[in-house]
Amino acid sequence: MTKAYEGPLTTKFIGEPSEIYDDAGDFWVVNFPRSITHHHTYGLLTPFFKGLTQGKLLATKCTNPECTENSTWLPPRADCPDCYARTEWVEVPAEGTIYAYTMLDYAGIGIEMETPYWQIDVQIEGVDTIFKGWLKEGKPVTGMPVRAEFNTANPTHTILDICWVPK
Amino acid sequence: MIKFGKGNLRVPQWSRRVFMVAGGCTPFRKYFPEYKLEELVMMGYKMMLEDNDLKLSPKQVKDCIQYAAYGEFADHFQDQLLCEAKIHDYLGLDPLWNTGIKTGGATGGAAMLNGCMAVASGYADCVLVSGWERMDEVDTRTGNFYISTAACKDFETRMGRIYSSYYAPMANRFAEAYNLSEVTRAKVAVKNRGYAMSNPNAQQPGHHTVEEVLESRMSAYPLRFLECCAMTAGSASALLCNEEMAYKLSDHPVELFMAGGTHTLRVADRRHMDIPLLPNEEPGMYDELLKESGRWPGFESFLAARFAAYLAYRMAGIHDPLEELDLVELHDAFTISDIQTYGDIGLRPYGQEPDYIESGDAYYEGKCPSNLSGGLLGTMHAVGATGIWQACEVFWQIQDRYDYIHGDKKWWDRAEKEKPADWKSLQVKDPKQGLWISHAGVGSHVTCGILRKAW
Repeated sequence: MTKAYEGPLTTKFIGEPSEIYDDAGDFWVVNFPRSITHHHTYGLLTPFFKGLTQGKLLATKCTNPECTENSTWLPPRADCPDCYARTEWVEVPAEGTIYAYTMLDYAGIGIEMETPYWQIDVQIEGVDTIFKGWLKEGKPVTGMPVRAEFNTANPTHTILDICWVPK
Repeated sequence: MIKFGKGNLRVPQWSRRVFMVAGGCTPFRKYFPEYKLEELVMMGYKMMLEDNDLKLSPKQVKDCIQYAAYGEFADHFQDQLLCEAKIHDYLGLDPLWNTGIKTGGATGGAAMLNGCMAVASGYADCVLVSGWERMDEVDTRTGNFYISTAACKDFETRMGRIYSSYYAPMANRFAEAYNLSEVTRAKVAVKNRGYAMSNPNAQQPGHHTVEEVLESRMSAYPLRFLECCAMTAGSASALLCNEEMAYKLSDHPVELFMAGGTHTLRVADRRHMDIPLLPNEEPGMYDELLKESGRWPGFESFLAARFAAYLAYRMAGIHDPLEELDLVELHDAFTISDIQTYGDIGLRPYGQEPDYIESGDAYYEGKCPSNLSGGLLGTMHAVGATGIWQACEVFWQIQDRYDYIHGDKKWWDRAEKEKPADWKSLQVKDPKQGLWISHAGVGSHVTCGILRKAW
C-alpha cells in the first residue's frame, strides 16, 4: 500500500506575469500568449498533397457501377457520399477558368502570403466541384483561363503548394 | 439555495415514443493518423448501417434519415469550426437539417437527447446521432490545457490546467464525508480497465491490481494516472426512430427515455439546497446526512445527475433503479466521478456509494453491473462521441449482441489487434433495461438515458 500523499507546505509563484494589454478604462485586458503545434493527418487524402509536390493535380472519382452519380471530386474525398464506395484517384487537367474571385486585404493572423492578394475559384473540365486557390500574378476576371503552378522546389506540404497564373 | 417552482419539475413526456435501432463506432486510439475526422465518422456510421441486423439495405436506411444531431466537444481539438457541415456533407446527407451540439463531456448524451426530441416532436421519423473527437492533434499536456478551458477561465483554469485538479478536491471531500477508501476507488479502475480487455475497440485495456493503480503516478492528489481516462480519437453513431419506423427497420428495437439536468460550471458556485428525491426515496431520509455534511450537493454529489435521473425514472416508470436496471454505463472519466454518481442515480442512498462496489453489485453477474464496455477509463473518451457510444454499448447488451460486437474476429481485425486467448463474454443474461449517464464539467450538464427492450 502506498504512503499518504504529502504535498508541499509552501508554494511560490514561478510563472511569468501576464502583460496588461489595455487598462485605459475600468477594465484590464491581459495578454495570454501561446504557441501551439497541431499534428494534423491528411489521412487517406495524403496522395493529393504528395501529388502537389510532384506537379500533379489529383482528384478522386467514384467508379462504382451501381452509383447514380460517379462524381469527380476536387478537393478529393476517399468515400463517395452517394453510394459510400471507396473512390479512385484520377489526374485532372492543371488548367481551368475563373468562376469567382475576391481580393484579400485584411487577413486573419498567421497569413502566409503577402497581402493584399487575389483568391480565385477555378472551374476545371471533368471535375464536378469548383476548386479554390490563389492567383500569383495578373488581375482576375470571370471566365479568364488560368493554369496551375506547383511549388515543387520548396513545398510547404499544404494546399498553398498549388497556385494559379493567367494562361 | 435553489428552489424549484412546480412548473420546473414537470416530467418530460414524449409526444411520440422514441426507439433506438442501430449503433456503430470506430476503434478508439490515442493517435489515429490513418484517417481524417470525417473518414472516422464514416467508419462508425457505416458500422451502424451495416452491422445491426437492420431489415433494409444501408442505402435504403440512408434514404430514411430526415435529421441529424451531431456532437463535438471542443473546436480547439478539431481546429475546425462548423465541423458538422463538413461531416454531414461527407455522409451525403445534404440538404437534411442538422444541428451541432456542445455540452462539454455530456455532448454525446446531449446529442442523443436532441435526436430523441426530434423524433418525439414529429420533426423526423428517422434520426442520425453522430459524435466525434480527435484529441490527437496536440500533445497530451496541450490537450490537458484545452480540456481545462472547460473550467472557469478567470477563476479556475490557471490554478490547475488539468481537469483532474478539479475532481481531486471532490475526491478528498468525498473520502472524508462518506468514508471512501482509496482502495475502493482503485477497484473501479481495476474493474473497468479489466472489462475493456473484452472490447476490441478499447484504448487502455489492462488487467491491473489495486496496488498498481495506487502506485501509478499521481496526477492531482488523490487521483493517480490509472484513475483518469485518456485522450481519444474516434467516433460513434446511433439511429433513432419513431415506433412505426423502428419496427420497419428492426425486429429488435429498443425504447428510449431520456432527460437532462444542469448545474454550475464552478463548484464554488454550488449553493445548498433540498435534495430532489427519487421515486424510491422517502422524505426525511437524508436529515442526518445533511446535518453532518452541512450542504447538498456540496462537492460530494452532482445536482445535474440527480435531476436527470429524477426526471428519467419518472418518464420510464422506474421505482427502484437497482432492482429494475440490468446494467448501467456511467461516466468514469475519473474513478471519483463514477462513485459520486452512484448516489445521484439511486444505486445506493447518498453516503453509501462505496457499497455499490464493495458489495459486488457493480460487477459482471452482480445485481446491476456497471461499465461492462470498459467505460471511459478502459475504452474511450473521445468526448463528443462518448455519450453516444455508451448508449450503443447498452443497446447491444439489450439486443443480446455483445458477443458479436465484441467477440467477432471482424472487429479485432478492424482494430488491428489480436483477440485475447482468454477473451471473456460480458453479455448480461436476458437484460430488459439499462441506463447510461453522460456527464460534463464537474457536473455542469448530465443526461440520463434509459433503454428498454421493446420486442
